[in-house]
Amino acid sequence: MRLVIHDLEPDCFKQLFPGQLGDLHIISPEAPIHHCLGCFGCWVKTPGACVIRDHYGDLGELFARCQEVLIISRCCYGGFSPFVKNVLDRSISYIHPFFVNKNGEMHHRRRYSNRARLEVWFYGDTTEQEKHTARGLVEANTINLWWEAAGVEFFQIPEEMEGRLPCKSL
Amino acid sequence: MQVALINGSPKRHRSASGCILKYLQPLLEQEGHVTAAFSLGRPELAPQDAKGIGDCDALIFALPLYVDGLPSHLVSCLLQLEESLARSGGKMGVYAIVNCGFYEGHQARWALNILENWCHRAGLRWGYGIGLGAGGVLLSIENVPLGAGPTRNLAQALRQLASSVGQGFGGENVFTTMNMPKLIYKLAAEVGWCRSAKANGLKIRDLSLRRGS
Repeated sequence: MRLVIHDLEPDCFKQLFPGQLGDLHIISPEAPIHHCLGCFGCWVKTPGACVIRDHYGDLGELFARCQEVLIISRCCYGGFSPFVKNVLDRSISYIHPFFVNKNGEMHHRRRYSNRARLEVWFYGDTTEQEKHTARGLVEANTINLWWEAAGVEFFQIPEEMEGRLPCKSL
Repeated sequence: MQVALINGSPKRHRSASGCILKYLQPLLEQEGHVTAAFSLGRPELAPQDAKGIGDCDALIFALPLYVDGLPSHLVSCLLQLEESLARSGGKMGVYAIVNCGFYEGHQARWALNILENWCHRAGLRWGYGIGLGAGGVLLSIENVPLGAGPTRNLAQALRQLASSVGQGFGGENVFTTMNMPKLIYKLAAEVGWCRSAKANGLKIRDLSLRRGS
């Protein structure tokens, strides 16, 4: 499955993704999302699923079905926007609570065996320092999610992405 | 100097960030500072918190590392604070302690970078940050005096921070870890997950459940 996580306005998304979406699964801010409470219930109470049963409670299971993931996010200080970061925070059921050593660092063990390719497109007015942070952050994400990095790109405005979308990963 | 102690954990009670600030507060008061506590645990920034934080001379954040960055609700608060602090024209120094569930404090480096970038956007002066590894142990030792046993490295980092705030010192980020061997920390954490699972009526093997398969 191919997954797109984005924080775009509906009109902007339609402009970038016209027509049929095929097998693309879209996670968008279409419904209110509750923030992660740090309860770890998704590990020790309902393993693999968030205990908050809103529209975004089964993201870990969804991640497990992905081969390719594209994140489109406003760049906020070199990180993701609140909505996109919330999606990532609410998806930690994708990994296992136990730890393993990987390249001398502690990371969480995998729960699932898929290895998705992650591409991230940031938009907004972004400084060089913020770009450096964003690249480092995405690399750290791919290590902790056991995914592969497929690239990080920066755009001034989302409309600049138009025509780029039938790219190699989507 | 009035110092804002900002707890960025979403937990209302018993958070590791709260433990850190509880250790830090008396150190700041010994240096002659007055502290004001704020809890930014929700995405909406309360107007009284925005004003109270804007009235301080220095800000110290304590927060958990979430997926290599800041918790989403805190990003939301920072966006709102950027606006209110820019209006106030304050030039306060900003410091941060990010506690990691991982053993290595340096895994907090991108979260600290994000906070530094926020300072630049908000027109504030970034002091430095502390990345604390093995932060998952804090709640289980909250009655251990600072400087004893597993809190020795934390004590050193917090004393340096308390001293730096008043003098306006900045510098490189500091990465440290609670004083316990990595293997012990790993085992203690995993025993803790198993106990929690059992308390919730689960079997240990349920921790590895794969949904949809």
